[in-house]
Amino acid sequence: MNVLHRESIFLPPDGKQTPCLLGSRCDKCQTVVFPQMPVCPACLTNGAMQTVEIGRTAKLFSHTIARFAPAGFKAPFFQVFVDLPEGPRIFSLVGAACPIEPGVLEDGMDMRLVLEPLADTPENKDLLTYKYVPAAMHGESGRVRHA
Amino acid sequence: MREVVIIGVGAHATGQFAEKPLKELGYTAIWGALDDAGVSPADIDAAYVGNSIGGLLTGQEGVRGQVVLQHSGITGIPIVNVENACASAATALRGAWLEVASGAADVALAVGVEKMFVGDTARTIAALSAVSELDLSQMGMQFTTSYAIHPKINLKARMKEYGWTIADFAKPAVKNSYNGSLNPLAQHRRPLSIEQIVQSRVVVDPLTLYMCASISDGAAAAVVCSADMASKFTSKTPIRVASCVLRSGVYRLPDDDRLDTASTTAQAAYEAAGIGPEDLEAVELHDAMAPAELMLYERLGLCGPGEGPKLIDDGVTTLRGRVPVNPSGGLCSRGHPVGATGLLQIAELVWQMRGEAGERQIQKRPKVAMAQNQGGLLLGQDSAVYSCTILKT
Repeated sequence: MNVLHRESIFLPPDGKQTPCLLGSRCDKCQTVVFPQMPVCPACLTNGAMQTVEIGRTAKLFSHTIARFAPAGFKAPFFQVFVDLPEGPRIFSLVGAACPIEPGVLEDGMDMRLVLEPLADTPENKDLLTYKYVPAAMHGESGRVRHA
Repeated sequence: MREVVIIGVGAHATGQFAEKPLKELGYTAIWGALDDAGVSPADIDAAYVGNSIGGLLTGQEGVRGQVVLQHSGITGIPIVNVENACASAATALRGAWLEVASGAADVALAVGVEKMFVGDTARTIAALSAVSELDLSQMGMQFTTSYAIHPKINLKARMKEYGWTIADFAKPAVKNSYNGSLNPLAQHRRPLSIEQIVQSRVVVDPLTLYMCASISDGAAAAVVCSADMASKFTSKTPIRVASCVLRSGVYRLPDDDRLDTASTTAQAAYEAAGIGPEDLEAVELHDAMAPAELMLYERLGLCGPGEGPKLIDDGVTTLRGRVPVNPSGGLCSRGHPVGATGLLQIAELVWQMRGEAGERQIQKRPKVAMAQNQGGLLLGQDSAVYSCTILKT
């Protein structure tokens, strides 16, 4: 499968590790950002950023249901912002295990990373990306789910 | 730097003009401005042409400015293409202003033009997504999402924080649709009620279709010159560019407690113009989504946190109020041809300040006005471009 934002996702080569996101942490000021950047946006130091594994878990910051889908996506679908414990607040989609109904998601909920197809459409069903699901609905520790 | 005045503006109505290419839309606006200013093509020393998604939508990826201007008889001079998403035209005005202020030119032209109706709405929406950083748009984020849940604006959170209701979200669109109904150039000329807006189709929870600016074809242009030359060309009241501020988004971490960039941009504009928000007598601002207008009232210093709906309820920002906002109908009603909007805002304010705004004329002719425009979306929370221009007579 192809992976969207391939350089931002750690795909474990074997079953011993779980997938996660790859961000940058500044050696100088410890700020963590996602996606990776060469210059720290907080202290503006060039060349002090190290790649770090982040985002296996997250807290839901905000959420909405998109009722109109852009090309390549299917409505309705969740669009969310999540806070990673390592620092960044990022945009994400929600995994298929989560029913698309009002009231299912609550800001502040614990979430877990999954890797799933970007959308259930011909253009995007073979493109893998990161999504989050409520921890209570998380099945197999973030292992890859196939369409 | 020299004092710069606007001596002419022109516009092509906003709406659906499928048969007109960019250069035709531009021609109407450009010659409207030239004639209004009393200048000929030969008088123009430099030109800036704003257009955002014309490459994707028309195929003319490069040199759109030169193509548009040649069609209108303007060639040979320095021409700069300006792409700054929904603030392209405001940026074009800044370029023209700087040419004259610096002395590099005596008379300069700013144009904004956009063609969004290309017979395939999906293509247009996809092109619009391309002014957001790709990491976001590739995951299906749309500009409506960014208004609903993006930490920068987070309209959903405002409902909890301020007690704003869905009806409050609709109020700017009610006001602007009424203003638009009086504007012969507006795309949408039907006054809408709160019920109609709230009950229109949900795009992204809880934002509805009639709360969104619609896609539009349109164009606008302005001729600027050195203040001491204005009377050479026209006897109309010259409109002074008191300040013209451009900023870019800044990268924000979750605990960022700095002022919003729309606020800092406005503050810089107020400072350079020697005024405060209380001095404004008319405003054209960036209501890409109607409820964003409520947030912009705060960010531009027109009211305190959460007080936006009250400003409308009390009539302060209506046409008859103390500081009419979006007398043209704004982006929602007048329409939002993205590369042209910044100059459509300027044209409206010039007409208002001259007393040429017809049925929607603000009774007490504004002497101090602001155009606020922004566009694009970056990782790190902010919009890509922020612009504020203050005009004075």
